[in-house]
Amino acid sequence: MQMVRMELSGTSQEILSARELGIVACTRCSKPAPMGTPTCSRCGHRLVSRDRLSLQRVWAYWTVGLMCYIPANTYPMLKTRTLFQVEESTIIGGAVELAQYGNWGIALIILFASVVIPLAKFMAVAFLAISVKRRSVTSQRQRHYLYELVEYIGRWSMIDIFVVAILSSLVQLKTLAAINPGVASIFFALSVIFTMLAAQAFDTRMIWDAQTKDEGPKTND
Amino acid sequence: MTKTPTDVPISPTRKMFLSGASVIWIIPILALIVALFVAYRSYAERGPLIVVEFEAGAGISAGETELRFRDVTVGVVEKVGFTSDLEKVTAHIRIDKDVAPYIDSGAVFWVVQPEVTAQGITGLSTVLSGVYIEGSWDQQVGPPAQRFQGSSTQPLIRGGQNGLEIAFRSTANGQLTDNVPILYKGIEVGRVGYAKIAPRGNFAIVEALIFEEHRQLINESTRFWDASGFSVNIGPAGAEIDFSSLATLVGGGVTFDTFVSGGAQVSDGTVFEIYPDKETARNSVFNASEVDPLKMSVVFDDNISGLIVGAPVEMSGLEIGEVETLSGLVDFERFGDSRVRLNAILSIQPAHLGLQGDVTADAALAFLSERVEDGLRARLASASLLTGGLKVEMVMVEDAPEASLNETDNNLALMPTTESDVSDAAATVEGVFTRINSLPIEELLSSAISFLNSAEAFVSDEDLRETPQDVRALLGELTGLVSSEEVKNVPVALNGTLVRIEQLVAKLEEERVVERLSTALESASEAASSVSSSVEGVPELVESIQAVAAKAETLEVEELVVALTELTESADAVIGTDDAVALPGALKRALDEVNATLEELREGGAIENVNRTLASARNAADNIAVSARDLPQVVARLTALFAQASSTIEGYNKGEQLSRSAERTLRDIQKAAEALASLARTIERNPNSLLLGR
Repeated sequence: MQMVRMELSGTSQEILSARELGIVACTRCSKPAPMGTPTCSRCGHRLVSRDRLSLQRVWAYWTVGLMCYIPANTYPMLKTRTLFQVEESTIIGGAVELAQYGNWGIALIILFASVVIPLAKFMAVAFLAISVKRRSVTSQRQRHYLYELVEYIGRWSMIDIFVVAILSSLVQLKTLAAINPGVASIFFALSVIFTMLAAQAFDTRMIWDAQTKDEGPKTND
Repeated sequence: MTKTPTDVPISPTRKMFLSGASVIWIIPILALIVALFVAYRSYAERGPLIVVEFEAGAGISAGETELRFRDVTVGVVEKVGFTSDLEKVTAHIRIDKDVAPYIDSGAVFWVVQPEVTAQGITGLSTVLSGVYIEGSWDQQVGPPAQRFQGSSTQPLIRGGQNGLEIAFRSTANGQLTDNVPILYKGIEVGRVGYAKIAPRGNFAIVEALIFEEHRQLINESTRFWDASGFSVNIGPAGAEIDFSSLATLVGGGVTFDTFVSGGAQVSDGTVFEIYPDKETARNSVFNASEVDPLKMSVVFDDNISGLIVGAPVEMSGLEIGEVETLSGLVDFERFGDSRVRLNAILSIQPAHLGLQGDVTADAALAFLSERVEDGLRARLASASLLTGGLKVEMVMVEDAPEASLNETDNNLALMPTTESDVSDAAATVEGVFTRINSLPIEELLSSAISFLNSAEAFVSDEDLRETPQDVRALLGELTGLVSSEEVKNVPVALNGTLVRIEQLVAKLEEERVVERLSTALESASEAASSVSSSVEGVPELVESIQAVAAKAETLEVEELVVALTELTESADAVIGTDDAVALPGALKRALDEVNATLEELREGGAIENVNRTLASARNAADNIAVSARDLPQVVARLTALFAQASSTIEGYNKGEQLSRSAERTLRDIQKAAEALASLARTIERNPNSLLLGR
């Protein structure tokens, strides 16, 4: 406890975690309750100061998300069938093709939305999950911002799926031309879903007691 | 804080691991299991990789070009590369696992490309979608193979395609068209593959397939012929253009027919000959006794143009074979000079030689070689004066130099030759034309025309036309004469006369001048009555009169005779007139005169008058007899005239026949010329027809 205080006083601002004050807040309705209260008196939600399995869930979802991300990139995302030929393009292949045709803007957007953001998400979630176990150089506040960013930006990764869904429902001109979603679209959607789940499974409160985790009790039933 | 360092850490750690593990880990484990399962399945379902070598890429691209079997995709090209020596293009094809066992060493592959032929357009879909590789293999699982040689053309017989596999051989002067349909009554019942030239180079051979459902159409007496192109016949009946269908006109085709029934079924591998046309094919059926021909070679010293492939080979006027091939031959070592000699290969049909016993090529060779020892030689002879064509003749030559049938370098017996029977074929041909030119056709025609003119003039001559009329009139008049009342009256008048003569005689009797006159007149009366009974019996009448006259002559009454002579003169004058019709009239008048005379005699009692009258009557009767005797002559002369006219007309008929045949000849020539002109026009209008026709 002493260490925490010294550490906290060492930072620019004094931030006290609820846990340090012996309080646990309801994660659903934010009603604080004294530590040890089993359920929220307002909404009946179970009160846990720190989710002991949070990290495991994060890593599990993260793994599945990453596993899905591999076929999402290797298999074709779109199946474009014109009158005489069938063309299948992967995400990166499609972006490269667009760039070759000169559509740099669209190519960059696709590349950004489908490659950069998901990868960044994976890295961010992994970083956050690791940082709560280790002493991190980055400040707790920055990590919290990072988490918020991941939470916020995660849903936009689905833009690819939307594009595929809209294209394949619009372009169905019988024999002339048709666009069908490829196998990768499912994997990509799964990947996005699982990274979002991973991000959600992360208990942000752990950011704040990273320094004290080795000594303090992790859980509070 | 801690009091028990030893036994606590172990159990909690284990407990921590088990209890601390969240259920959520099931999800990644499940995902992993699914992924592994999918990976295993796709690996397990992956078929083997085969390599097909092609001469050229022909549009094969990796990842896109498909391998199809019966038009169903069973594989895809994964990689396109080259063989190590860059000789060929290799296509690595990943094939489906379920068909992989069937792709054994017997499988064939070819690239399907769009193709436009006279038979139609194939592979049209590949124009847009790109080429694909078509594979063909049978239904048997065989030893697996990994490398295949792809062909550039579709194989004739695809795996799993049943049918009668036969082969065609070109005949001596026929030709083979390959990659064409076999048509029967216009329906495609089979296909001819790609032709090859036989090792000896004297014929072409090609595989063909008759589809299974048409197998029964083929038997041993079936004859095939080339239905490609078209044939033009220019003959006396005009020009004839014959082709079986437009498709075969452009692209060629083979058709067949079974001219006689009862041929045995054929098995795979039978070789049929392809005849150049239907006629030859049909004729060949009826030469069923023919066996494999004997080939022999003849080298003629004089290289005369005019001998063609297919020219007959004759022996004692019988055709025993034909010329199969012709070539020039220059062999300094053999002949001592470098002249080009004519080397002909004869195809002699042993069945035509009349051999005893075995009818084979060997027997024919033995026979010929025996005859060659006796002096049998080959020579060139004119086959036709008109065309100047040559034939090969086998003739016996007296005291010929020793010779025998020798084998030549190409395993053919060499027939010794003798001097040709043609001096100069070209000259002969020229001579033939000169002869044709110098034929006096124009003179013949002009004389025919003048003959016809004169014949016409003769026939249309008024006199000739009137002749039958005259004859008819003459006959009519004769009839009239015979049937005229006056002639009929002649006996009456005679009767009257005789009655009066009787009266006269009675008077004479009474006067007892002549006793015998009475009996004479009696017999005359009898004669006259017999005459009266027969109207037409003029000769009898005449005879009776003559008899009367003869009897009367014996009367010794000079005066009577004189009077009769006068009567005769007047009767003569009567008969002498041209008008024969007037004869009965004159006769009647004469008889009337006789009557009058007799009356006068009776009244005057002048017996000489009777005498004269009788003599005159006799003369008249004589004259009638003479004129009656002349009638047959007139008739005979008329008959002769008719015969002559008839022969003339016959001659005219013959002339007409001549002119008709001449006219027909001219018409035929004209028609042939017209046909030629129309053919020339057709070709001029559409020269493609000659280009497109094979």
